[in-house]
Order: sequence, then structure tokens, then C-alpha cells
Amino acid sequence: MTIDFGIRNAPRKFAKTLAAGIALGMLALPGAAAAQERVKVEWWHALGGRLGEVVEKLVTDFNGSQDQYEVVAVHKGNYEENMAAMVAAYRVGQQPTIIQAAERGFMTMLNSGAVVPVPTLMEEQGHDVDWNDFIAPVSGFFLVDGVPAALPFNSSTPIFWYNRDMFKEAGFDAPGETWQEVEKQLYAIKEQGVSQCSMALANDFFWSLIENYAALHDQPYGTLANGFDGLGTEFVFNKSPLVVGQLERLSKWMDDDVLQIAGQGLSPEQLFTSGTCATYVASTAAHAGIGSGAQFDWSATFLPHEEGVEPKNSTIGGGALWVLQGKSDEEYAGAAAFIDFVASPETQVWWSKQTGYVPVTTTAYDALKSEGYFKENPTREIAILQLSRGEPTENSRGFRFGNHNQSMQLLVEEIQGVWTGQKTPQEALDNAARRGNEILRQYERLHASQ
Amino acid sequence: MPRSNATAGIGGADTRPPLAIGIALSRLLPKTSEAGLKTAHFSKPGLAAALLAPQLLILLFFFFIPSYKALSLAFVQVDPFGAREIFVGFANFAQLLGSPDYRQSVFFTLWFTVIQAVVTIALALLFAFATDFVIRGRGLYKSVILMPYAIAPVISGVLWAFLFNPAVGPLAQFIQSLGIPWDPNRRPFDAQLLVIVASVWKHICYDYIFLVAALLAVPQSLLEAAKLDGARPVRRFFTISLPLVTPTIFFLMVMNVVYGLFETFGIIDAVTRGGPAGATNTLVYKVYQDGFVQLNLGSSAAQSVILMIIAILFTVLQFRALERRVNYQV
Repeated sequence: MTIDFGIRNAPRKFAKTLAAGIALGMLALPGAAAAQERVKVEWWHALGGRLGEVVEKLVTDFNGSQDQYEVVAVHKGNYEENMAAMVAAYRVGQQPTIIQAAERGFMTMLNSGAVVPVPTLMEEQGHDVDWNDFIAPVSGFFLVDGVPAALPFNSSTPIFWYNRDMFKEAGFDAPGETWQEVEKQLYAIKEQGVSQCSMALANDFFWSLIENYAALHDQPYGTLANGFDGLGTEFVFNKSPLVVGQLERLSKWMDDDVLQIAGQGLSPEQLFTSGTCATYVASTAAHAGIGSGAQFDWSATFLPHEEGVEPKNSTIGGGALWVLQGKSDEEYAGAAAFIDFVASPETQVWWSKQTGYVPVTTTAYDALKSEGYFKENPTREIAILQLSRGEPTENSRGFRFGNHNQSMQLLVEEIQGVWTGQKTPQEALDNAARRGNEILRQYERLHASQ
Repeated sequence: MPRSNATAGIGGADTRPPLAIGIALSRLLPKTSEAGLKTAHFSKPGLAAALLAPQLLILLFFFFIPSYKALSLAFVQVDPFGAREIFVGFANFAQLLGSPDYRQSVFFTLWFTVIQAVVTIALALLFAFATDFVIRGRGLYKSVILMPYAIAPVISGVLWAFLFNPAVGPLAQFIQSLGIPWDPNRRPFDAQLLVIVASVWKHICYDYIFLVAALLAVPQSLLEAAKLDGARPVRRFFTISLPLVTPTIFFLMVMNVVYGLFETFGIIDAVTRGGPAGATNTLVYKVYQDGFVQLNLGSSAAQSVILMIIAILFTVLQFRALERRVNYQV
């Protein structure tokens, strides 16, 4: 999952759309009848920058592959803005047919009463999708009563990015496997003057360094199997000495200037790709940006774990495609055709190569393997290997918390209190759990009658 | 009648008793001192209503209907899609008022607004006063001051954030090179200072335009008379110009407070996003965050109701406290 805190390129996009519109209009003149018959299917998504360009290509390819439907992709901003725009539109009946929602919005979407489950849609529209083909860690998150509630679209997991040039200069071949080893290396990089910034803090660090840390170390984040077993779940991450220890470590790094916040006006990924910071823990989807932007020998590896601990799988992040209610049958037919296109092995292989997101089906994964793609690009396989490592436990399967977006924002706010020195890590996590539990109770009360 | 007789006696002008009574009354009853401005009225109510209608319609659609919506949402908890709704009475308000984070936001908003308003006016007054003394390049001087007004808040916010970013910002590095610690990502006060400076910078031009115009309207004869009496520029400013532009300053105070409360949203969103740890989370920004990012509509609506009450109180207070000192007659 990436959070796009940048400014949107609205004017450029508008110009592009305008140009495309004019071009389409001119093309349409001779065969106007044929062009008018295309059913427009609106899709609101949250991918900007390099990923946004790939999305546009995907849509163009789909529109070129058939002549019945035209998917119109609209970039509404980051995941939260996309969701807010959709909710506002839904309340006045102006919703798009397809919406991309983040994994954090899963419960909100699932219990909204506003969605058409994707398997139902595909069945009604006569598409045969083999749901068993979806790789376990991805489908495991999205399954409700045996079938996924939405189409896993851009699935990712955090990995450990590093600047190999800097590691070599400091005398290391590669990052260590444990946090203890990594800590020594980061301090060495700083002390030897290789870099003033050993690690850039990702904007979604709560996901890569806290939530996934809990999953990887089999620590309960919430009760009732992290919310999978019911709305009565409560946050307990503050009671795990390991999670508290992780925050203490990050806080110490921050105080020692080993870990740096990018702050507003700058993306942390830029700090890494510009060669300022030596490491960066972020989504595998950063492949798109780092691959095209970094001018040094970069690489990536698995997330570190504590000494003497057998690490579990990490959890997925990213978005899924949900289909909303209240659209016409033609639009649903178009949506189903598009989803079928997205889920096809060819698209999955292409999408995964272009972006760094994991291929969501076994067929696509096998296709990439058999063409030797991972031999040439070993960092591309890290995410999927890390996601499917070992047998998932209740603590590593994922998270299902109502209004998780709210409790996440509170967690970030509380952790910022640690960065500013106003709170100890234990206090911050206690506060975050207490405030998060209020949100869970509120959600439970509102949805109890289901 | 004894009173009017007395004044007439003092005035010694029997031919103009009504005027004498008028003046005497206006001196005795402070309220009527603004009589000249406030008693003007239309003799045909229909025309007045027609002229008011467009503004009233705008108020209806952009104030009364949204206010009603906010009020109706403030007492419920609701699913963002509108499918489920439960009435919770004052629970949303109770939760807000009981939350230390909300109190912190109220506190910050108040001192942020006041400091921003006062500093903006003070600087704008200084620049406006100095305008007369800039002989060469007065056009350039004015354009430089007015320029920020033409820049969208988000763009200027991003520029401020970048310039003062401790990792890459040139100004941040300059400050650090002076040995002053600077990190708006980790030091709440730095972030608050940055937001205040950015908001003031963005709004000075607005105040400046009004103050330059107001200063131009100060009668030259008074200033020249004072000059002949030997008053220096600063003295002339404080004893003649300043009292005469108080109505403008009062108006700008109200506008600045409204600006601070509501319109600094874009700057905060771009410069700090309310952080670190909620240090720059103003009430309006919190309404947006809770309502539109986190989709907690009930709480957000309750906050906007509280905000509305604060804004009304502030304005009433200002009219009460400041208007008495304002001299509307030149």
C-alpha cells in the first residue's frame, strides 16, 4: 500500500483527457454510430504518479481489446480521498460502477450494503472465474464465506529496500536478517559518514513497521483473531512487549538521527531514490518508482525480524476492486468484462512487471516463474515469498477492524507524540489502543443489527 | 424642556434650537453617535426585499441548509453510506468535550487565530504606513506585497513546507546553520510557528489593500496641520491616521479571525497536515479530517456545530468590545 501525499496532477490530467476527448471525437466522426454504442463504465482509483500511468495503459488496453465497453478511469486522489468522493457520490446516486478501495477499508465496504459481491456479479454476467487460483495470502484476506468479496487488484506487502552502494561502502554485503544486525549496520553507515540518513521513514510506516511487525512475530494486534471472528474485537497491540520494543527502537533511531521523517513537501521515497537515505521499508509497489528513479545500485530483501524468532508471513496491503450497487445491467456487464480482463493471467503478468505489485493468481505467478522473470529480477519475488512464508496464524492472516482507517490515523497521531518526545512508546500505544477501541465499539454498535 | 433650555442658553443661539438639542442629545446618549449611518432606510420595503433576495438565497443554500444538515447529523452516529443511523443524543458532543485531543485543538485554534490576526494587522499597518515613504519603485513595493494573494493556498503551503523542510529545505538549513534547532516534523512549536508565519504571509496583502485605501482617505488637511505644528511622521500616524482608520481595522480584525478560523485550512493541509501529534490541528482541519478522511460524520458534524458557535461568539464579542472604540465619523 502506498499513500500518495503529493499534489495531484489534475491540470495535466485534464489536458490529457481533453486531448483524448478531442482525438476520440475526431475518430468517431465517420463511424459515430459504433462509437456511441459503447457503454461507459466509470472506475475511480487511487493510484497516482508512475502507477497512475500504468493504470491508464491498462484501461487503454482494455478499451482497445473489445468494442462494447469503455472503461473511464478517474484518479480521485489517495485511498482516503477516493473513498470519501465515492461515499459522497453514492449518497446522491452518482457513484461510479467500480471503485478501488484499500485493504483498510475492507470492513467499511463489506458492511456498507452498497456493493455487489464480485463473485455474484461474475456469475450473473456469465464469466467463469476460478477463485481457487488466487494465491493463498491474497485470497485469505478477501475471502468471506469461501469467496472473495472483491477482486484483489493491487496487492503488496512491505519489503526492506536498501542502497547497495552505501552498504558496500560501509563494509557490508547485504542487510542483516534480524533487527539487531540491521541496527548495527544502520549505525555504522551513519558513524562512518557514508550517509547522514540511514533510513527514511515511510508515510505508511504504521503498516510496514508496526502492523506487519506484529504479524511477522505472531503477536496479536487485536482480539478475536484480529477481528476475523467478530465485531467485538479489541486492540491489544499495546500489550505486546515486542511491539512496544519495536516502537522504542524506532524512537531511539529517530533521536539518534538514524531514522528520518521526510515531512511535508517531500516524499520519503524521494529520500531513498535520490540517494540521501540508505534504506527504506515500504511496499513492493515502490518498484515502479525506485526502478525508474534510482541512479544507484539498489536492492531489496525480506523484512528483518527479532533475533531467535521464526518469522511468519507478512500481511497484504493495497487495493481491491469493488462493484457498487445501483447501476444498469449494461454497466455491470462492462464491469464484469473489465474484471475478467484484469484477473486474466496475461494482464496480471504485465501488471506485476510494470508496477511491482504481486501477481494475484497462481497461474500468473507460475507464468512469471517459468519465463525466468524472478531469476533476472530477484527483488520482484521477495513480496510473494514473504507473504506465503510458513503457515499463517490468527495473528498473521491480516486485520479486520471496523473503521480501521480511523484507528490507524489515531495510532499515527499518538506515535508522532513519541517522535516529539511528549510520550513514551508505551503511553502512545496505550492511548492508541484505548482510542481505537472506542472506534471499534462505535462501529460494533452501529453494525450490531446485521 | 429644562435641558434644552439650558443648552440653548449655553449655546446662546436661539434661532437654531433643534440642532442644539440634537447635538446635546447625541453627547448625552452615546448610542446615537452613529445615527448618520445607521438610521438610513428604504421607504419602499419591496425594493429592499428584492435587493436583499440574492444574498438571502445564497445564505439559504450555503448557510442555513448546510447548518440544518450539520445539526441533524450532530446527534446521530451514521454509517458513511447512509444505510444505518442511530440517535445518540449529545454523545458526540460529550465525547468531544471529554477528549484531551479536542481540547488541545480548541486551545491551539484560539491562540493561533488571535496571534495570526494581530500580527497580520500590525505588519499590514506598518507596510501601509511605509507606502507613503517609498518614493522609488512604489509600484514594485505594492506588487511584492500583493503577490501572495494571487497564489493558491495549497501551492504556497507546499512551498513553505519545502523551504522549511529539515531534510532538504534551504531556509531550514540556513536556520540550522545558525545553530538554532529546527524540525517542524518533531518539534510542535516549530510546526505551529511555521503555520502562523505562512498564514500571516498569505493574508497580509488583504489587510494591506484595505489599510492603504483607508490611509489615503485620511484628510490631508489634518495631516498638514499636524505637520505645521511640528508632529513627526510616527506621531502623526498614531494621533491622526490610526484613530481615523479604526473602522477599517475593526473590519479587518473580524475578517482575520474568520480567515484564521476557517480559511487557513489549505495552508495547514499542505504545511503540516495537522501534525506533529495534532499540534497544528485546528478545529476546521479536524472537521475535515474526521468527516472527509475518516468518514466519522456524526463527530464531524458535532464539531462543525461547536465551531459555528465559537465563530458566532467571537464575532459578537468583537462587535461588543471593539465597536465602542471605533469612530465611524470622519
